Amino acid sequence: MNLELFLFWPLCALTVVGALSTALARNLVYAALALGVTLAGVSGLYFFLQAEFLAAVQLTVYVGGILVLILFGVMFSRDILGQSQRPSKRVLGLGILSSLVALVAMVRTALAIPAAAGLSGERSAPSAWIGNFSPNTSSHLGDLLATTYLVPFLTIAVLLTVVLVGALVLVRKEGE
Amino acid sequence: MNSLLLSGPESLLPYLLVSACLFAAGILACTTRRNAVGYLMGIELMLNAAALDFVAYGRFRGLEAAGHGQVFSLFVIVLAAAEAAVALALVYSVYRTFRDVDLDRTTTLGSKR
Repeated sequence: MNLELFLFWPLCALTVVGALSTALARNLVYAALALGVTLAGVSGLYFFLQAEFLAAVQLTVYVGGILVLILFGVMFSRDILGQSQRPSKRVLGLGILSSLVALVAMVRTALAIPAAAGLSGERSAPSAWIGNFSPNTSSHLGDLLATTYLVPFLTIAVLLTVVLVGALVLVRKEGE
Repeated sequence: MNSLLLSGPESLLPYLLVSACLFAAGILACTTRRNAVGYLMGIELMLNAAALDFVAYGRFRGLEAAGHGQVFSLFVIVLAAAEAAVALALVYSVYRTFRDVDLDRTTTLGSKR
Protein backbone atom coordinates (compact mmCIF):
# COMPACT_ATOMS: atom_id res chain seq x y z
CA MET A 1 0.00 0.00 0.00
CA ASN A 2 1.38 3.38 -0.88
CA LEU A 3 0.37 6.87 0.13
CA GLU A 4 -1.46 7.54 -3.13
CA LEU A 5 -4.03 4.85 -2.43
CA PHE A 6 -4.59 6.13 1.09
CA LEU A 7 -5.42 9.51 -0.41
CA PHE A 8 -7.31 8.31 -3.47
CA TRP A 9 -10.07 6.14 -2.04
CA PRO A 10 -11.05 8.52 0.81
CA LEU A 11 -11.13 11.31 -1.80
CA CYS A 12 -13.51 9.30 -3.99
CA ALA A 13 -15.69 8.49 -0.97
CA LEU A 14 -15.72 12.14 0.13
CA THR A 15 -16.75 13.28 -3.35
CA VAL A 16 -19.62 10.81 -3.56
CA VAL A 17 -20.85 11.46 0.00
CA GLY A 18 -20.73 15.20 -0.64
CA ALA A 19 -22.78 14.79 -3.82
CA LEU A 20 -25.39 12.66 -2.06
CA SER A 21 -25.78 15.09 0.81
CA THR A 22 -26.03 17.96 -1.69
CA ALA A 23 -29.07 16.18 -3.10
CA LEU A 24 -30.59 15.04 0.19
CA ALA A 25 -29.67 17.52 2.94
CA ARG A 26 -32.77 19.23 4.24
CA ASN A 27 -30.96 22.42 5.19
CA LEU A 28 -30.04 24.29 2.00
CA VAL A 29 -26.94 25.86 3.55
CA TYR A 30 -25.66 22.39 4.42
CA ALA A 31 -26.41 21.31 0.85
CA ALA A 32 -24.36 24.24 -0.49
CA LEU A 33 -21.45 23.40 1.82
CA ALA A 34 -21.64 19.72 0.80
CA LEU A 35 -21.51 20.91 -2.81
CA GLY A 36 -18.29 22.71 -1.89
CA VAL A 37 -16.84 19.45 -0.54
CA THR A 38 -17.79 17.67 -3.77
CA LEU A 39 -16.26 20.38 -5.97
CA ALA A 40 -13.03 20.30 -3.95
CA GLY A 41 -13.04 16.49 -4.22
CA VAL A 42 -13.38 16.64 -8.01
CA SER A 43 -10.47 19.09 -8.01
CA GLY A 44 -8.44 16.49 -6.08
CA LEU A 45 -9.36 13.86 -8.68
CA TYR A 46 -8.09 16.26 -11.37
CA PHE A 47 -4.77 16.30 -9.52
CA PHE A 48 -4.71 12.50 -9.63
CA LEU A 49 -5.37 12.71 -13.39
CA GLN A 50 -2.44 15.14 -13.69
CA ALA A 51 -4.64 17.97 -14.87
CA GLU A 52 -3.04 20.50 -12.53
CA PHE A 53 -4.23 23.59 -14.37
CA LEU A 54 -7.80 22.32 -14.44
CA ALA A 55 -7.64 21.47 -10.74
CA ALA A 56 -6.57 25.03 -9.95
CA VAL A 57 -9.31 26.45 -12.19
CA GLN A 58 -11.86 24.16 -10.52
CA LEU A 59 -10.84 25.44 -7.09
CA THR A 60 -10.85 29.12 -7.99
CA VAL A 61 -13.90 29.23 -10.27
CA TYR A 62 -16.15 26.66 -8.60
CA VAL A 63 -15.23 26.72 -4.93
CA GLY A 64 -14.21 30.38 -4.92
CA GLY A 65 -16.83 31.79 -7.28
CA ILE A 66 -19.88 29.68 -8.05
CA LEU A 67 -20.22 28.36 -4.51
CA VAL A 68 -20.25 31.88 -3.10
CA LEU A 69 -22.87 32.87 -5.69
CA ILE A 70 -24.98 29.86 -4.68
CA LEU A 71 -24.66 30.73 -0.99
CA PHE A 72 -25.92 34.21 -1.86
CA GLY A 73 -28.80 32.60 -3.73
CA VAL A 74 -29.66 30.39 -0.74
CA MET A 75 -30.28 33.53 1.29
CA PHE A 76 -33.23 34.37 -1.00
CA SER A 77 -35.26 31.35 -0.01
CA ARG A 78 -37.94 31.95 2.51
CA ASP A 79 -37.46 29.04 4.83
CA ILE A 80 -34.13 27.35 4.37
CA LEU A 81 -34.54 24.37 6.67
CA GLY A 82 -38.26 24.14 7.12
CA GLN A 83 -41.07 21.99 5.87
CA SER A 84 -41.04 23.43 2.35
CA GLN A 85 -37.60 21.94 1.62
CA ARG A 86 -38.90 18.42 2.13
CA PRO A 87 -40.12 16.82 -1.11
CA SER A 88 -43.29 14.77 -1.06
CA LYS A 89 -42.99 10.97 -0.88
CA ARG A 90 -44.06 10.60 -4.50
CA VAL A 91 -41.56 13.11 -5.85
CA LEU A 92 -38.79 11.61 -3.74
CA GLY A 93 -39.62 8.12 -5.03
CA LEU A 94 -39.64 9.29 -8.65
CA GLY A 95 -36.36 11.15 -8.11
CA ILE A 96 -34.64 8.14 -6.58
CA LEU A 97 -35.98 5.93 -9.37
CA SER A 98 -34.75 8.20 -12.16
CA SER A 99 -31.33 8.71 -10.59
CA LEU A 100 -30.97 4.95 -10.06
CA VAL A 101 -31.79 4.33 -13.71
CA ALA A 102 -29.10 6.82 -14.74
CA LEU A 103 -26.63 5.32 -12.25
CA VAL A 104 -27.19 1.76 -13.47
CA ALA A 105 -26.85 2.83 -17.11
CA MET A 106 -23.60 4.71 -16.46
CA VAL A 107 -22.07 1.97 -14.30
CA ARG A 108 -22.92 -0.66 -16.91
CA THR A 109 -21.25 1.49 -19.57
CA ALA A 110 -18.19 1.98 -17.37
CA LEU A 111 -17.88 -1.75 -16.74
CA ALA A 112 -18.34 -2.57 -20.43
CA ILE A 113 -15.50 -0.34 -21.66
CA PRO A 114 -12.55 -2.76 -21.29
CA ALA A 115 -14.56 -5.46 -23.05
CA ALA A 116 -15.58 -3.15 -25.88
CA ALA A 117 -11.97 -2.11 -26.45
CA GLY A 118 -11.04 -5.75 -26.85
CA LEU A 119 -8.86 -5.66 -23.76
CA SER A 120 -9.15 -7.74 -20.65
CA GLY A 121 -8.90 -6.77 -17.02
CA GLU A 122 -9.83 -3.62 -15.19
CA ARG A 123 -6.40 -2.07 -15.38
CA SER A 124 -6.41 -1.79 -19.14
CA ALA A 125 -9.37 0.44 -19.88
CA PRO A 126 -9.17 2.31 -23.27
CA SER A 127 -5.45 2.11 -22.97
CA ALA A 128 -3.31 1.42 -19.95
CA TRP A 129 -2.08 4.07 -17.55
CA ILE A 130 0.64 6.05 -19.24
CA GLY A 131 3.32 7.01 -16.73
CA ASN A 132 3.80 10.59 -15.68
CA PHE A 133 3.43 13.18 -18.38
CA SER A 134 6.82 14.89 -18.45
CA PRO A 135 6.25 18.36 -19.06
CA ASN A 136 2.86 18.83 -17.45
CA THR A 137 -0.18 19.31 -19.63
CA SER A 138 -0.64 23.02 -18.89
CA SER A 139 1.61 24.22 -21.71
CA HIS A 140 -0.03 21.73 -24.07
CA LEU A 141 -3.40 23.13 -22.99
CA GLY A 142 -2.23 26.66 -23.83
CA ASP A 143 -1.07 25.55 -27.27
CA LEU A 144 -4.43 23.92 -27.97
CA LEU A 145 -6.39 26.99 -26.85
CA ALA A 146 -4.32 29.24 -29.11
CA THR A 147 -4.48 26.99 -32.18
CA THR A 148 -7.11 24.24 -32.53
CA TYR A 149 -9.64 25.77 -30.15
CA LEU A 150 -9.03 29.43 -30.99
CA VAL A 151 -12.52 30.05 -32.38
CA PRO A 152 -14.37 28.40 -29.44
CA PHE A 153 -12.06 30.28 -27.08
CA LEU A 154 -12.95 33.66 -28.62
CA THR A 155 -16.62 32.70 -28.82
CA ILE A 156 -16.67 31.90 -25.13
CA ALA A 157 -15.02 35.25 -24.40
CA VAL A 158 -17.87 36.98 -26.26
CA LEU A 159 -20.37 34.79 -24.41
CA LEU A 160 -18.94 35.83 -21.04
CA THR A 161 -19.31 39.50 -21.99
CA VAL A 162 -22.92 38.89 -23.04
CA VAL A 163 -23.57 37.06 -19.75
CA LEU A 164 -22.07 39.92 -17.75
CA VAL A 165 -24.30 42.48 -19.47
CA GLY A 166 -27.31 40.15 -19.39
CA ALA A 167 -27.03 39.49 -15.67
CA LEU A 168 -26.77 43.23 -15.01
CA VAL A 169 -29.87 43.88 -17.12
CA LEU A 170 -31.78 41.14 -15.31
CA VAL A 171 -31.13 42.47 -11.81
CA ARG A 172 -31.69 46.10 -12.77
CA LYS A 173 -34.79 47.65 -11.28
CA GLU A 174 -37.39 48.54 -13.88
CA GLY A 175 -37.49 52.19 -14.86
CA GLU A 176 -33.92 52.92 -13.86
CA MET B 1 -11.87 -6.38 -7.37
CA ASN B 2 -8.66 -6.60 -5.39
CA SER B 3 -6.60 -5.51 -8.37
CA LEU B 4 -8.91 -2.54 -8.80
CA LEU B 5 -8.42 -1.53 -5.17
CA LEU B 6 -4.67 -1.75 -5.56
CA SER B 7 -4.40 -0.02 -8.92
CA GLY B 8 -6.46 2.88 -7.53
CA PRO B 9 -5.75 6.13 -9.36
CA GLU B 10 -4.09 4.27 -12.23
CA SER B 11 -7.27 2.68 -13.55
CA LEU B 12 -10.13 4.38 -15.33
CA LEU B 13 -13.00 2.66 -13.53
CA PRO B 14 -12.94 4.60 -10.20
CA TYR B 15 -13.21 7.93 -12.01
CA LEU B 16 -16.14 6.67 -14.08
CA LEU B 17 -17.91 5.35 -10.99
CA VAL B 18 -17.45 8.60 -9.08
CA SER B 19 -18.68 10.50 -12.12
CA ALA B 20 -21.75 8.22 -12.37
CA CYS B 21 -22.55 8.82 -8.68
CA LEU B 22 -22.17 12.58 -9.16
CA PHE B 23 -24.52 12.53 -12.14
CA ALA B 24 -27.10 10.41 -10.29
CA ALA B 25 -26.96 12.74 -7.28
CA GLY B 26 -27.42 15.68 -9.66
CA ILE B 27 -30.55 14.13 -11.16
CA LEU B 28 -31.83 13.40 -7.65
CA ALA B 29 -31.29 17.03 -6.63
CA CYS B 30 -32.95 18.34 -9.79
CA THR B 31 -36.03 16.15 -9.38
CA THR B 32 -36.62 16.54 -5.65
CA ARG B 33 -35.57 20.11 -4.84
CA ARG B 34 -38.39 22.60 -4.80
CA ASN B 35 -36.05 25.51 -4.34
CA ALA B 36 -34.57 27.14 -7.46
CA VAL B 37 -31.11 27.32 -5.91
CA GLY B 38 -31.21 23.64 -4.91
CA TYR B 39 -32.08 22.84 -8.51
CA LEU B 40 -29.06 24.86 -9.63
CA MET B 41 -26.81 22.80 -7.34
CA GLY B 42 -28.04 19.64 -9.08
CA ILE B 43 -27.12 21.09 -12.46
CA GLU B 44 -23.63 21.96 -11.19
CA LEU B 45 -23.19 18.37 -10.00
CA MET B 46 -24.14 16.97 -13.42
CA LEU B 47 -21.80 19.39 -15.23
CA ASN B 48 -18.98 18.32 -12.91
CA ALA B 49 -19.67 14.66 -13.64
CA ALA B 50 -19.38 15.31 -17.38
CA ALA B 51 -16.18 17.34 -16.99
CA LEU B 52 -14.60 14.63 -14.85
CA ASP B 53 -15.43 12.04 -17.52
CA PHE B 54 -13.81 14.14 -20.25
CA VAL B 55 -10.58 14.52 -18.27
CA ALA B 56 -10.50 10.85 -17.20
CA TYR B 57 -11.04 9.45 -20.70
CA GLY B 58 -8.48 11.84 -22.13
CA ARG B 59 -5.92 10.95 -19.49
CA PHE B 60 -6.03 7.29 -20.43
CA ARG B 61 -5.51 8.02 -24.12
CA GLY B 62 -2.15 9.76 -23.91
CA LEU B 63 -0.85 13.31 -23.83
CA GLU B 64 -2.57 14.51 -27.01
CA ALA B 65 -6.02 13.31 -25.99
CA ALA B 66 -5.49 14.50 -22.41
CA GLY B 67 -5.09 18.04 -23.74
CA HIS B 68 -8.28 17.82 -25.80
CA GLY B 69 -10.25 16.41 -22.87
CA GLN B 70 -9.01 19.14 -20.57
CA VAL B 71 -9.93 21.88 -23.05
CA PHE B 72 -13.47 20.49 -23.14
CA SER B 73 -13.62 20.46 -19.36
CA LEU B 74 -12.31 24.01 -19.26
CA PHE B 75 -15.16 25.10 -21.54
CA VAL B 76 -17.62 23.20 -19.33
CA ILE B 77 -16.35 25.07 -16.27
CA VAL B 78 -16.57 28.46 -17.99
CA LEU B 79 -20.09 27.72 -19.23
CA ALA B 80 -21.09 26.59 -15.74
CA ALA B 81 -19.83 29.88 -14.32
CA ALA B 82 -21.78 31.85 -16.93
CA GLU B 83 -24.88 29.76 -16.29
CA ALA B 84 -24.60 30.25 -12.53
CA ALA B 85 -24.32 34.02 -12.95
CA VAL B 86 -27.41 34.23 -15.18
CA ALA B 87 -29.35 31.79 -12.99
CA LEU B 88 -28.62 33.78 -9.86
CA ALA B 89 -29.69 36.98 -11.61
CA LEU B 90 -32.94 35.22 -12.55
CA VAL B 91 -33.38 33.96 -8.98
CA TYR B 92 -32.98 37.51 -7.71
CA SER B 93 -35.46 38.77 -10.27
CA VAL B 94 -37.96 36.04 -9.31
CA TYR B 95 -37.42 36.83 -5.64
CA ARG B 96 -38.27 40.48 -6.24
CA THR B 97 -41.53 39.52 -7.92
CA PHE B 98 -42.68 36.65 -5.71
CA ARG B 99 -40.76 37.23 -2.45
CA ASP B 100 -39.79 33.54 -2.66
CA VAL B 101 -37.85 31.19 -4.94
CA ASP B 102 -39.98 28.08 -4.40
CA LEU B 103 -40.49 26.59 -7.87
CA ASP B 104 -43.98 25.35 -6.95
CA ARG B 105 -45.17 28.84 -6.14
CA THR B 106 -43.69 30.81 -9.02
CA THR B 107 -46.43 29.91 -11.42
CA THR B 108 -47.17 33.08 -13.38
CA LEU B 109 -45.18 34.79 -16.10
CA GLY B 110 -45.91 38.34 -15.09
CA SER B 111 -46.10 39.87 -11.67
CA LYS B 112 -48.10 38.07 -8.99
CA ARG B 113 -51.73 39.06 -8.84
